[in-house]
Amino acid sequence: MGERVFPFGGHSFSETDLVRGFVIFSLTICCILISALAFSRQIPYINYQLFFIPIVYAAYFYPKRGIYVAAISGVVYQGIGYFYSYPNPAAMLGVTAEALLFVITAIIIAYFIERIRSGEARYRTVFEHSQLGIILFNREGFAIRQTNEKFAAMLNYSTQEILASTFLDLFFIEREKERFLERIDKNRETADFETRFASAGGAACWVNLSWCMIDEHTVSCTAVNINARKLAEKLNNDNMMKYRQLTENSPTSILIVQNGIILYANPTFAEFSGYPPAEVIGRELVRFLDPRDLHVFSEFVQQWTIKKPLAAHAEFRFVNKDEGIRVAVLFTNPIVHANKPATMINLMDISEKLRLEEKIHQDNERRRGIIITVAHELRTPLQPILGYLNLLISDPEGFGIVDETKKILERCLLSVDRERQIINQMLELSVLESGKLHLSLSEFPLEALVQTVLDTSGYHSKAEVSVTMPEGIVIMADRDRLYNVVDSLLSNAINYSKPPRKIEISYRMDTDDGFHHIAFSDNGIGIPPESIGTIFEPFQLADAAKLSRKYDRIGLSLSIARKVVQMHGGDITVRSVVNTGSTFTIHLPKEVTVDA
Amino acid sequence: MHKIMLVEDDLQILEMMEILLQKIGYEPVLVPNVLDALDLVRTNPPDLVLLDIMMTPINGWEFLEKVREEYRIHNLPILLFTASPDVAEKAAMLRDPHLGILQKPVSLPELKAGLERFLK
Repeated sequence: MGERVFPFGGHSFSETDLVRGFVIFSLTICCILISALAFSRQIPYINYQLFFIPIVYAAYFYPKRGIYVAAISGVVYQGIGYFYSYPNPAAMLGVTAEALLFVITAIIIAYFIERIRSGEARYRTVFEHSQLGIILFNREGFAIRQTNEKFAAMLNYSTQEILASTFLDLFFIEREKERFLERIDKNRETADFETRFASAGGAACWVNLSWCMIDEHTVSCTAVNINARKLAEKLNNDNMMKYRQLTENSPTSILIVQNGIILYANPTFAEFSGYPPAEVIGRELVRFLDPRDLHVFSEFVQQWTIKKPLAAHAEFRFVNKDEGIRVAVLFTNPIVHANKPATMINLMDISEKLRLEEKIHQDNERRRGIIITVAHELRTPLQPILGYLNLLISDPEGFGIVDETKKILERCLLSVDRERQIINQMLELSVLESGKLHLSLSEFPLEALVQTVLDTSGYHSKAEVSVTMPEGIVIMADRDRLYNVVDSLLSNAINYSKPPRKIEISYRMDTDDGFHHIAFSDNGIGIPPESIGTIFEPFQLADAAKLSRKYDRIGLSLSIARKVVQMHGGDITVRSVVNTGSTFTIHLPKEVTVDA
Repeated sequence: MHKIMLVEDDLQILEMMEILLQKIGYEPVLVPNVLDALDLVRTNPPDLVLLDIMMTPINGWEFLEKVREEYRIHNLPILLFTASPDVAEKAAMLRDPHLGILQKPVSLPELKAGLERFLK
């Protein structure tokens, strides 16, 4: 390494090569001179043996070139031998044989050396190009003897830096090192020892080590980088932690149930049931149920045990530790738990919600009771007033009433009538809102109904009314109630407009969405946009203060009308432009289905 | 002249109704006490009873039940004369052809029409 290299004739030679070449060359020259001397002085036994020194030396280091050296030496030796032993044929034959022996020896050495070298080269190639990090270190002292690029690259070091340290220096933390020492003391061979090494940047690098003692002093160790896997595992763990936190802190109870047995229950369930988690896990879920719901529950369970369970939910009563009844909605989801199908149950405690609902229901009932009582108390005193006014007006002469007084009495009667109407509307709305009212449905022609309303209330005399409606439209509704709805809308249109009044009643044909659309348009004062949203609310009037004084009306009829249409499964909508007019549209379903 | 018994504990209404009934040609029998009414309905039966509901010691419904079930007076028309709003449904459930409702406050034309309907 780091040796100077000299290129020469297409080959490159290192300094060592040059030195060796020089030694071989000098030895060969020496041998030639000694053998020449030995031949000339007739000294037996030392003429050719000397040649083996440079030949073996050359063949050992440079197998091919060793053969050349042997061939050259052989030729020169033969030349010298022939020169001195000529014409003795036996001696000449001997020289030739000796020269041949040089070459044969060189060939044999070269052959074995080459074999050894190629084996070594293969081993080196494997070692250097291995995808595994390979490291050889001493059993005692842990000095690193050899390592490959892969291992060094794994830790961002160069091989020199690795070779300069000991194996124990590589460990990331002391505890890992001790664990390794413990292990290597116990086993000569170990596979899949996972630990962390410190990389050049100071970061930890997860490696999987396998080692074995190749002799009493040396340990061969392979290392695989498992950082990516460890990272994935960590991520997985983080996710697990997150899920755990989610379930542990979930405000709804979460259960995992397999074959009816609770395998997991979160703290919320413990709180819900009143039992500590230890008393919950391993027990049958049905043990917590109210016995009255057991039958329904077993049907519910059927739903999740069928082959492809669907997410299902239902309400059940539970008995908690204090024998109290709590109501919960169960949402179930099929999951796989420990490689077997299981059910995850989300259990939402709705006891409080039900309690509030019950309270609201009670409050509504009470309010309804109050309204009914109040209505009764308000109506009773009206009876004498109404009766006496009727009496006086029915026979003015008999009671000696002049025309002027009669007019005043008639106005009183009007007010009494209005008050009676307001109380009736209040009551009707209260009944409608209680949901206790049932519709009596029948089929009847729409146009006839509209005409009856127009004729009965005399709207033709109050406004220019036009009715655009295809013939033969038959609707299904509660006739009396729908009559009132149409009457309310028309009366509303009259009340919120000034002469000349125009009212258009039209049936919209353009859509086929399963609804009748009946529109009532007027040329009245309109409704400001900010009031559109509340026009159907009880006791709401657009621009309430002003209008109530001007028209002296209370806005209950629209609320009632809308409630009635909504009970049919439809709705009333309104579009309006201030000072131009309003359009109220009844959307009535063609098929009305009402719960009996 | 039809005899109309008015069972009503509100004296104001009682006084007013007396004049009103006379005016439209009926003979009013005013009974402010519902227990008296129970006696009278047997001893001196009217042609029709106008019956208030909210009364003590027994209310209109109890009166009705006694008359129909105990005294077996089935054909006597009884008009519930009440300001309570939740009467109609309960009355409908009894399926009594001689039972009607007059919602207080009742106007003269309504009263006339109501009485005529049950007295033919």
